[in-house]
Amino acid sequence: MRIIACYSNKGGVGKTATSVNLAYAAAAAGLKTLICDLDPQGASSFYFRVKPSKKLVEDKFFKDEQKFIKAIRGSDFDNLDVLPANMTFRDFDIFLSRMKNSQSRLKKALKAVDNDYDLIVLDCSPNISALSESVFKAAELIVVPVIPTTLSERTLEQLLDFFKDHGLDRRKLAPFFSMVQSSKKLHTETMERLRAEYGKLFLDTALPFSADVEKMGVHRAPVGTFAATRPAGKAYAGLWQDLQDRLGLKAGK
Amino acid sequence: MTSDNSDIMILAGAVTAEAMGDRLGKLVLDTPEAGETAGFVLLDTFDQAVRKAGSVLIETGGQLQLMQPGGVVRTQAAKRSGNFVADFADGPVKDALSGLEPLRSLLVVGRGELRQSAAVAKDDEDKTHARVRFSTLVPDGAGKKVTLVSLQPLRGYEKSFEALGSRVQDVSKGPEMEVRDLYARLFPDTLDYDPKPDVGMTGGETAFQAATDIMRAYLAVARRNEDGTIADHDTEFLHDYRVALRKIRSVISLFRGVFSDAETARLKTVFSDLMAPTGRLRDLDVYLLEKDTYFDLLPETLHDGLTAMFAQFAKERNAVQKQVARRLRSATYARQMAALQAEFDGATGLEPGPAADRLAHDYACELIWKRYRKVCKIARAIDDTTPDEDVHELRIHCKKLRYLMEFFAPLFPAADIKALIKPLKVLQDNLGLFNDYSVQQASLQDFLDSRSGVRKQDVTIAKSIGALIAILHRRQLEERARVVSSFAHFDSEDVQLAFRAMFKESEV
Repeated sequence: MRIIACYSNKGGVGKTATSVNLAYAAAAAGLKTLICDLDPQGASSFYFRVKPSKKLVEDKFFKDEQKFIKAIRGSDFDNLDVLPANMTFRDFDIFLSRMKNSQSRLKKALKAVDNDYDLIVLDCSPNISALSESVFKAAELIVVPVIPTTLSERTLEQLLDFFKDHGLDRRKLAPFFSMVQSSKKLHTETMERLRAEYGKLFLDTALPFSADVEKMGVHRAPVGTFAATRPAGKAYAGLWQDLQDRLGLKAGK
Repeated sequence: MTSDNSDIMILAGAVTAEAMGDRLGKLVLDTPEAGETAGFVLLDTFDQAVRKAGSVLIETGGQLQLMQPGGVVRTQAAKRSGNFVADFADGPVKDALSGLEPLRSLLVVGRGELRQSAAVAKDDEDKTHARVRFSTLVPDGAGKKVTLVSLQPLRGYEKSFEALGSRVQDVSKGPEMEVRDLYARLFPDTLDYDPKPDVGMTGGETAFQAATDIMRAYLAVARRNEDGTIADHDTEFLHDYRVALRKIRSVISLFRGVFSDAETARLKTVFSDLMAPTGRLRDLDVYLLEKDTYFDLLPETLHDGLTAMFAQFAKERNAVQKQVARRLRSATYARQMAALQAEFDGATGLEPGPAADRLAHDYACELIWKRYRKVCKIARAIDDTTPDEDVHELRIHCKKLRYLMEFFAPLFPAADIKALIKPLKVLQDNLGLFNDYSVQQASLQDFLDSRSGVRKQDVTIAKSIGALIAILHRRQLEERARVVSSFAHFDSEDVQLAFRAMFKESEV
């Protein structure tokens, strides 16, 4: 089981859309995937039409494996489940360590329901909190959408500083350019400069600014279901390929 | 979450999604793809290995659909380069069928029309809770309709799934069916196939009856393989055909005294003559099946010669196959086989010998015990200096012992027989490989001798074959070196006591 997170300390950068579309791409490639909605403002549950579970409000939720299992909902797509948590959890680090420990009751409970998940995608809240720290530790890769503007550049620097100050492995970070408008000189110049500065840290694929991503709210479905062959659809597929490479997953599995 | 969790039901008759209604409690029932009709082909191997695994494999609309026990439904594109599982494109159906005998091709069990309809239970957010798909198979011909129902739950919506399931129960007429009854309902003419048929023995029959029962059963097996051999679906048809005829021939030669000497001689000739015209085809099949192994044995620099040799084999095989097919289709052959069947059926025409009326059980014990003693006598004299001829003789006696034990197996406790056959098989595998390597060297040498031309291709082939023979010779020596220890394993005290108890001391 591999864990990746989608994170940004700045809002409105396309983070939730990225989580949703990456999870969808992973599932379509045959990986049993669980997307966890950890963003109180996030809409990943909304995109999958899953109603937030009222039973999950209690903070002690993560101590109770059975509740966790029961909260998982199958999406309308093969291989893709949703944990519509929709809130912050103080005990999330406990949850994550249990997810990684094959002897834990949580892990056994998951296996009892079905085969293990191949991939867990965490859609995180947009701030640096105790929760995001435990996510940074648990996840193998942290996908960070970056709009190529000066402001976003500063936010990325803050995140890198945070990693440095807390002794976290910066190589886990996988930033990519999001909402790119290639007609804007600022965008192209910023991208060029950042790629030069950070070398191979950035993923190859850049996500164009696209009305199709906005339309996810209308369709309430991943872009791949209604615009797979359009630029945004292709870019998410490319982004998933980049991540597969970085995770060392073989194509298709 | 995935189709892996779905449940499958088989219903007699036609059921469609419309019958489900448009509401399920608070949920709406959508019927998105109702009323599509397409042709379908039901696929299985000749021995119905797919059905025996509890599965159903159909091809429709360019897709292969494999429904497995426990409700698993796997789908992939039907496009393929041939009808063996290895010819399929990589995908979930190919993965699931990887346990099938690789030498068996998939054949058409039957065809017909497929009507598929589906219902999706959704909530007020338009979120799917559960799905059901009805696939009604309408067979061409005299069979009856069947509806395959696959119910797909989504995690976290168990109640909706149960509600959908009971709605299906409500609208379905008649009881559920089992996969094993599916072919019989759809295509009643379909016959099952078992290369090792049960020959019912009670122990009360005479040796003559036992012999004719076995011969009759295996003649039927041989005949079942004629069409597939003619059509050349896969190499297993001819193989099973020959094994069945060889078993009949073994009964004739091993069951001494059951038939008169003249009858025994006549039948031996008849069955040898039946088998002989197919021998070359089987040899070529074996070479071609071993193709990859041969390529693996030699370095790439010597592959050109192999490529040329196998091209020759393939060409010859095509020609020989046509001859065999022509022969099996001929009126003369049909008359001969029909006459033999009639002879075995009535068994009146067969002339009995002095042992014909002995009780089968006593007769079996005597034959097996004698053969076992013979095997032991030869084997115990073998050491590393014994000539190869003696090892070949041991192999032949082991084979005869094995046949006798298998023919008469129904007269003895199954577990006891199995326990004795197992160590015998280990010894036989060893001796079999020893023999195969020896035969392969000889036939490669024959092939070489037959084309001792001076053309460049012949020189290339000669180089490769020379190298191959050297490797096969080394392997033969390795197998030879194992014979003494293989026999020691078979000759354990436990096995000795078991043979004596079962075949010597039970003889009264």
